[in-house]
Amino acid sequence: MTLSKKEISILVEIIYSIVFALIFLPYFYENQEKTLILMDGVIEKIFQIIISTVIYFSIAYSVLEVIYKKKETGDERDDMINSKSYKLGYLLYEFSLFIFIGYVCSKFQNKELLNLTGNQELYNSFELTDGGIVFFVLVLLAFTSIIKSLYQFYLYRTV
Amino acid sequence: MMLKNNLKEIRQKNGFTQEELGTDVGVSRQTIISIERYRYKPTLELAMKLAEKLNIKIEKLFYFDKE
Repeated sequence: MTLSKKEISILVEIIYSIVFALIFLPYFYENQEKTLILMDGVIEKIFQIIISTVIYFSIAYSVLEVIYKKKETGDERDDMINSKSYKLGYLLYEFSLFIFIGYVCSKFQNKELLNLTGNQELYNSFELTDGGIVFFVLVLLAFTSIIKSLYQFYLYRTV
Repeated sequence: MMLKNNLKEIRQKNGFTQEELGTDVGVSRQTIISIERYRYKPTLELAMKLAEKLNIKIEKLFYFDKE
């Protein structure tokens, strides 16, 4: 199976999204009950994400440029594939927003119900923190990005 | 009705490779492959460029398969 430069660059994006999810999401998962200020080493983690992203894409695209010396320009087929995959990404993003709103509403609703029972411990566990919001948004973004890129890759292989 | 084409035969008759034809009309080799395999329907602009390059009428290059 021979892959074109465009297909490999999509695979680079997919690998990044998966690696990002495996390396950095556990940190936000562990700290989702905290607020951002109280998270241990959140600034360092953000710098790690930025620096590792820059290094990863610089190396990946440099290697790609060395392997595929010929410059590939986009044409109408690329535009069609991109519009289809970005449309799917946009729909998933919109759907994710509804899930997010549902998540926030259910948190508040459960909190109110638990308030009536008087169980303080359970009441506190349903606290909506900014750490939780950050984790949820990152999961949705990673999910949307992976599905969009996989669909784009599928279209490049089949259209 | 399916839109089909004679691109492969006419391209070969004119002595073009997929790469050469793609470069001449401003698309990639993959796009030419996709058109020849009926996977991708080109825009009118590209279809006319291909017809002009291959010196053939557009209706001879692209046609509807009524079966």
